[in-house]
Order: sequence, then structure tokens, then C-alpha cells
Amino acid sequence: MSIAVRIPNLLRDYCNGIGSIDLSASNVESALLELKQNHPELYGCVCDETGSVRRHINLFVNSEFVPVRGQSGLLTPLESGDVLTIWTAVSGG
Amino acid sequence: MADRIVIAVGTKKGLFVAESGKSRRKFALRGPFGSGVAVYSALIDNRGTPRLYASSCNPFFGMKILVSKDLGNKFKPTRSAPAFPEGDGRALANIWSLESGNGKKELWCGSEPAALFRSGDNGDSWEMVSGISNHDHARQWHPGNGGLCMHTIVRDGDRMHLGISTGGHYLSEDGGATFNASNQGVGAGFVPDPYPEFGQCVHKIARHADMPGRLYMQNHGGWEDRPGIGVLRSDDHGHTWTSIADGLPSDFGFPIVVHPQKPETIYVVPLEPMTRTCPDAKPAVWRSENGGNSWKRVARGLPKKDSFFTVLRDAMTIDELKSPALYFGTTTGQLWMGRDGGEEWECLFDSLPPINCVKAAIV
Repeated sequence: MSIAVRIPNLLRDYCNGIGSIDLSASNVESALLELKQNHPELYGCVCDETGSVRRHINLFVNSEFVPVRGQSGLLTPLESGDVLTIWTAVSGG
Repeated sequence: MADRIVIAVGTKKGLFVAESGKSRRKFALRGPFGSGVAVYSALIDNRGTPRLYASSCNPFFGMKILVSKDLGNKFKPTRSAPAFPEGDGRALANIWSLESGNGKKELWCGSEPAALFRSGDNGDSWEMVSGISNHDHARQWHPGNGGLCMHTIVRDGDRMHLGISTGGHYLSEDGGATFNASNQGVGAGFVPDPYPEFGQCVHKIARHADMPGRLYMQNHGGWEDRPGIGVLRSDDHGHTWTSIADGLPSDFGFPIVVHPQKPETIYVVPLEPMTRTCPDAKPAVWRSENGGNSWKRVARGLPKKDSFFTVLRDAMTIDELKSPALYFGTTTGQLWMGRDGGEEWECLFDSLPPINCVKAAIV
């Protein structure tokens, strides 16, 4: 089983410039833990020291938003061929 | 031989670097570095080959510390940034202070939530300093308007003074291993006890190396029913504090700066406590030449009316030339320079992003 994690341009400096990372994770939480193990700098940009997804980061599985803050979205299952995309939330100021 | 003045300007949109010859006639500006990301602290480290450090506080991707080894032409992140240890439960929200330490490689960093970190390798790795970060009081500190931040690190041999808002002044006398709250005489206007053991909203602390034991503090003043608690002095290494606010138009303010050659000459920027802008919309720095016993307004060249800005806690500094210049940055994006210790002011840049911090050094 293989899923892909799409990396936004702004974070590619933290994973040798690549735009997609293949993982074997079965849910979003285990995908993040694989990132932590294999790409700690990238992981640190997505999650803080407590393991929480950072406030201005959004995750999508395929085109579905993953509700990761205070909800059970981290347990969203992943199936072979799924794409987990890291997006930055829109903001201004 | 040192022949240039470098100013690091941390703004809401990144770090700018201004550079001039010693005449200070014309400053060239470069940046922003860490573009679009707020910089709350900067350090020009003159130990050996000068390095510029800046905290880059990215709300999206977390904290970075940027370093330049070429006087601020290029920056890159250090190998790691301070972070709370796994299981601690706290997450770094900002970096408010960067200071040099012993030798050529030690750095200290104060953070939000309030904690202290130490690096022994120029910022490439960091360890949390447990003596203050896990102090019995630490979970009782609470955030002020700017967040719960450790914004001031003042070193004096084995002594280390920390300023925490709102936590108060903490003193270590064993090189940073252990800390005690040291706030006798430091008031608070926002809790029932006017002189609590800890929990004060200290804004900035400064000292001069040639006057051991003397410290100056800008505390959160501006309380009608508790007057004079905003500007303080200690003559016993920070164990006790007394008011030196008499003669100022307001005891509220953020920065406090000491003259590089005259330990009794200090500078503050009094602000109206409600607006946090200068009284009567007429900006002025106030200078004391006798350790705070009396004060003089120095404002020649500053706007005479209709000026509403704030000078934040790290946004005023002074260079170390024989006749030093003061510099302050404003929340309206102006960088001002006051020649001859503030006697004559001119605006160096008038349209920068809102300014959080200003550091100057001769390199």
C-alpha cells in the first residue's frame, strides 16, 4: 500500500526539494508520524512540539478537508493511491 | 578596525539591515529577510566574525532563527530552533529575546510561552533551561497583551536577570542553574496585591557593565492609583527596586536604554497608558544623566504634533561610538536616529513595516 504526501512549495526546502513523498501509512496520524521519523524538519513545520497540527496548516485527503484540530480527523483512514496534501490556510494582515 | 554601523530592524514583515559609515550620514537598507514573517528579536554578535541573528516567528510553520555571517547580506536558518522537549505540553509561539553568552558560541533565547533556552554552538542546537522554564511559578505566570513572553535576558557574570511579562524579574546567581523571583519594590497595577512576589508585567531591564549592581527597569506603569511603579532602579543587583519615575510625564513605556559610556545616563520613551502613544501626540525621548533622579525631554527634530505611534520594548537602542546615537523604531514603520545621545533627531526610514525591535552595533 502506498499513499502520497504532496508538499507545498514553501516547505520543499525541508525535504530536499521534492514535491511528493510516498508513505505506507494507514491513516493521517501515522502518515504524520512517518514524516516525523523520516523528515523531521518538514514535520516540525507541520506539527508543533505537542504533536498538534499547526494552527495555520490544513490537511486534505484527496479533495476532502481533514478536521485535525480537536476532532478525530487524525484517524481518517488512508487507502492505497490516496493523496494527503499539506496546505497553508488563507490569512492576511 | 571597526568602521561601519549596522542596524538590525525586526519588523512585522521580516528583518531589515541598515548600514552606514561611522559618520552616519547615509544608511543603505537591505531586506526584508525572512520575508513576510515577523521578527521580534535580533542580535548583532560581535564575538569574532560578526554574525547577525534574528528570530523569524512564522505562524504557519513555526519558529526559525536566521543567521547571517556576512553582515546581513544573506541569511539562512540555523540547524534547529528552540523547542520544548517532547512531553512538556507547551509549544513555542514566539521568540522574544536573543543574547550572546560565554565564549564565542553560547547563545541564550527567551520565548513565548515564557521559557529560556541555551545553545552552545551558535544556535544550531538548543536545550531548554529547566531552572526557570520549569520553575514552580512558571505555570502560574499569565500572558499580557503581547503574550506570555520572556523578553529580557541580562547577563552579569554568574548573575542572570530575566524579564517576563507577566511573570516579573527573576534572578540567577549561579550561572542560570536556579532562579528566584526578585521583585521587592516592583509593583503591579492589575492584581489586588500591589507588590506581589511575582507576576509583574516587566517591560525591559538594562544595565551597564561599569556599574556593578545597578539595574534599570521599565515596568508596566500608568496606574493612577499606584503611581510611580513604572520606572525603577536597583542598586543591589536586582534584589530591591525603587521608583525613579519622578519628573516623567508618564511612567508607562516599553524600552529603557543605558548610555554606552555613562552608566548613570538612561533613556525612556514615556507613553500615555491608554493609547500607548506619546503624551499630547508629541513624541519625545526622556533622558536622565543621574540614574533617574531627574529627567530632561530630548525631542529636537521629532514631530511636534499629531504623531501617534508606539515604541515597543526592544525597539530602542544606542550605538557605541564616542558620541553615541540613539535609534528607535515605531509601530508606524519609522526608524529614527538621535545624534549626540538623542540631542538631534532625524528619520532614517519612514515607511518600513511596523517595527518590533532595533539593534545597532559597530562592526
